[in-house]
Amino acid sequence: MNKVAFTLIALLVLTLVSAIAGLHFGPADLSSNQVVQCVLGNCENQINKMVIEQVRIPRVLVALVAGMGLAIAGAILQNTTRNPLADPYLFGIVSGAGLGATIASLTLGEQSAIALPLAAFLGALFAITIVLFIAKVLQRMEQLLLAGVAVSFMLGSLTQFILYFGEPFATNRVIFWLMGSLSRVEMSNFYVIASVLLVAMITIIALHRHIDALLLGDESAASLGVNVDKLRLLMLGLCAALTATIVAYCGGIGFVGLMIPHVVRQIIGVTTLKLVIGSALIGGSFLIWVDIIARSALANAEIPVGIITSALGSIFFLFIMVRTRSTN
Amino acid sequence: MPIQLQVDQLSWSINNTSILKNISFNVNKGEVIGIIGPNGAGKTSLLRCITNQQQNNRAATLSGSIFLNNKKITGYSTKQLAQHFSLVAQKAEAIFSLTVIDIVKMGLLPHKGLFALNDDHDKAQITHALIKVGLAQAKNMTFNQLSGGEQQRVLIARALVQQAKILILDEPTNHLDVYYQHQILDLVQHLNVTVIMTVHDLNLASQYCQRLLLLNQGQLVADGSPVDVLTESQLSSVFKLPCQVEQRATDHDSVSQGPRIFFSLPQKQESTINVGIHNE
Repeated sequence: MNKVAFTLIALLVLTLVSAIAGLHFGPADLSSNQVVQCVLGNCENQINKMVIEQVRIPRVLVALVAGMGLAIAGAILQNTTRNPLADPYLFGIVSGAGLGATIASLTLGEQSAIALPLAAFLGALFAITIVLFIAKVLQRMEQLLLAGVAVSFMLGSLTQFILYFGEPFATNRVIFWLMGSLSRVEMSNFYVIASVLLVAMITIIALHRHIDALLLGDESAASLGVNVDKLRLLMLGLCAALTATIVAYCGGIGFVGLMIPHVVRQIIGVTTLKLVIGSALIGGSFLIWVDIIARSALANAEIPVGIITSALGSIFFLFIMVRTRSTN
Repeated sequence: MPIQLQVDQLSWSINNTSILKNISFNVNKGEVIGIIGPNGAGKTSLLRCITNQQQNNRAATLSGSIFLNNKKITGYSTKQLAQHFSLVAQKAEAIFSLTVIDIVKMGLLPHKGLFALNDDHDKAQITHALIKVGLAQAKNMTFNQLSGGEQQRVLIARALVQQAKILILDEPTNHLDVYYQHQILDLVQHLNVTVIMTVHDLNLASQYCQRLLLLNQGQLVADGSPVDVLTESQLSSVFKLPCQVEQRATDHDSVSQGPRIFFSLPQKQESTINVGIHNE
């Protein structure tokens, strides 16, 4: 067995272990035996059944697919834009989602809980459309990230302007939602995110050689028969849809897409297929563990996962910048 | 030899600035052709037009026709063109730690379906290409750690795996020292494929190309064997420098069989600057 296959199997085991660990943590005091019995369909009582089936399993599964999706989106954005600092959140997606969520919260009031994910999704797509339009006008992919940051600030200021004049309860709702949390996820959220993730994975696996060709530059890729503009647009759209879906249900969980692909490149490889499979496994495991920390670190309180990922990610971001500079 | 590529009255301009003017020539199968000329003559632009890389440039206007195997080049898909042309750029910058084998594998792209896996034949082909360019031992090394000459050889190995009928090289000897310049061109000369390359060094062009196209200000000034193209009058006129051409008789023991060229600055005739390479 070669080194890559061995590493991937080890990561698969890590993911399964992480998922099982995720089922053990929570306010309800359940033993390992009770958790295992419930997963196997032999719950002792209805309360345990409800805790495991309706709270912990959806939460672990959503953490798994959200982590996978964010890490994959980061990996693909970094490879297609040839930028090691690319991250789905730096393309204005969260700011767009925040604007959508704000408008839904302030205009729909109590009914906004249902409409909020859809409004956030539309807001995220709106943001990425503006970013892509600017990049298309500039015809310079290296400025895509700068365009993303500019759009992010623009939509962020618009959101704050609306919130400033908005009703306090709605404002609170949006602010907490933007911090990112898995505390209110349901099984239906898992199915939606998993479906988008599946489509993204199939598309990426089909086009992995094309994406690899971009790693040596646009001209090189074009000489190998790659339609560079179309491929890049398709991949950006795919990453935007994937991230927007995750943000819509889980709020702003930043920097997963920045960190995980860099770790994967160090231990598995840089080509797209290895990178995406590795990112999926490590990203999924990572978010499950972050969520475990989020609900166990403080007694009787939960820390929003977005706060933890952003804290870790910002340090990592600086580390990458310093490392890239010293490599150059 | 059958005609493989036919360029017919090709003109190309960007934002109304004429880059190539009414260029016509044929490329026969198996020829090694060098495109020479001063900076800005249109050498790289000609390569880009031949490989149809300008199709998405909205600011560009192209007239005339290019035929590949008697079919207009615009009638080929990008994938089909990649099966006919392989391009080795002046310099490639790999992002992240791409290894030699990662890059050579890219050559499989034009021949693979979307979900196709690499089979034993592909692996044998990659190994063969790496052996041919002398990099079999370096396959797991990072591309950015290699010397300029080794990087060029990696790109040529990728071109070999691409199995294209025509190899296009844009200044393959740029940034290379004398040893690697000769190593790369000797390798290219013995690949047994049609080669079209831009070359700055006229002595290298003379030595390794069967035929030369001399461009000046977007126009094709001369087309023929090195002996026919590298004449004192033509080179002096194009490069705007006094020039001395030393013709040499064909000699079985000699590495070089083309003429040798020397330029000198007009103001300082006494201090002749030799930009050529002495093989003896």
